[in-house]
Amino acid sequence: MKRMLLPLLLSLMLLSTPAFAKTYGKGVHVDKATPVSAILDTPDNYLGKTVKIEGLIVEVCSKRGCWIYVAGDRPEEKIQVKVTDGEIVFPMSATGRVGVIEGIVDEVVMSKEEMIKYQEHLAQEKGKPFDPSSISDGARFIRLIGLGAEINE
Amino acid sequence: MNWRRINNILHRDLGYLCFGLTIIYAISGVAVNHIADWNPNYRIERLQTAIDPAPLQGLSGDTLVKTILDQLGETSEIKGSYRADKENLQIFVVNNNITANLATGAVYQEKNRPRKVLFEMNFLHINHAKKLWTWVADLYAIALFLVAITGLFVLRGKKGITGRGGWLTATGIAIPVFFLWLYL
Repeated sequence: MKRMLLPLLLSLMLLSTPAFAKTYGKGVHVDKATPVSAILDTPDNYLGKTVKIEGLIVEVCSKRGCWIYVAGDRPEEKIQVKVTDGEIVFPMSATGRVGVIEGIVDEVVMSKEEMIKYQEHLAQEKGKPFDPSSISDGARFIRLIGLGAEINE
Repeated sequence: MNWRRINNILHRDLGYLCFGLTIIYAISGVAVNHIADWNPNYRIERLQTAIDPAPLQGLSGDTLVKTILDQLGETSEIKGSYRADKENLQIFVVNNNITANLATGAVYQEKNRPRKVLFEMNFLHINHAKKLWTWVADLYAIALFLVAITGLFVLRGKKGITGRGGWLTATGIAIPVFFLWLYL
């Protein structure tokens, strides 16, 4: 019986569902949430500032868990939260869950060529077709550099 | 007890203690090293299917979501849904992200499952756990350091550090130095 105990314990530990912490990174400390729409409408007012947003997580980086998209308060609107690789790792199970995220508002300006490369990479990762001619111009992305999060898993 | 005996006992016992984590770090190390070519954490299956869009017309909210899932035969727990744009509705169920085009009925499914054992190994190796595990991993690193140092002095004579062991140790140091010279 004793001989069986260690392998049994190890197997149970390895096969059981991993217990993810619900708090990621440094957690959330900002009191008041800022609507995503406010950040996207007037990004210059928020650039470099630490904000808290709340919303449904609609996409997670499947390979490294290094970014998520959070749905905004207006329909068809979302914002990317990028975190430093390894510092915070979002699990794929976070998709479809409501999250509270704290981060610094940041901008990324991409030329047309950079946009094509970026979209091509995303399509490759998703296994979706991509037509470079669908990109007509560069773009300015507003995103959050994620510092911490609490996800309702 | 002389110093070499203490050295050898330390080397042996730390070696036993480090066995489990070394195996985990070795397997996970190879898996994560090739992250550009595959997903070491999740097994992802992407499916392009279709549903009949006619019954969806005029529906909204939970009824719309349920009708789509019924057509797909998807019975997992619903986590949420999101209107990505005027035509596309994303539905999130446990281990499956579904995007349904309400106009055409085209459906894209991304079924994901954590890779058994490997997911847990990577979880520890990449230190997703943080908290107390960070300290355990630090202790493991110190133990490995001691295993390496004590390993140099396990044997005496021609096969020890003054003979063959010395050449092998020098080769082991030269390999990373060579690649630093090559790539830096």
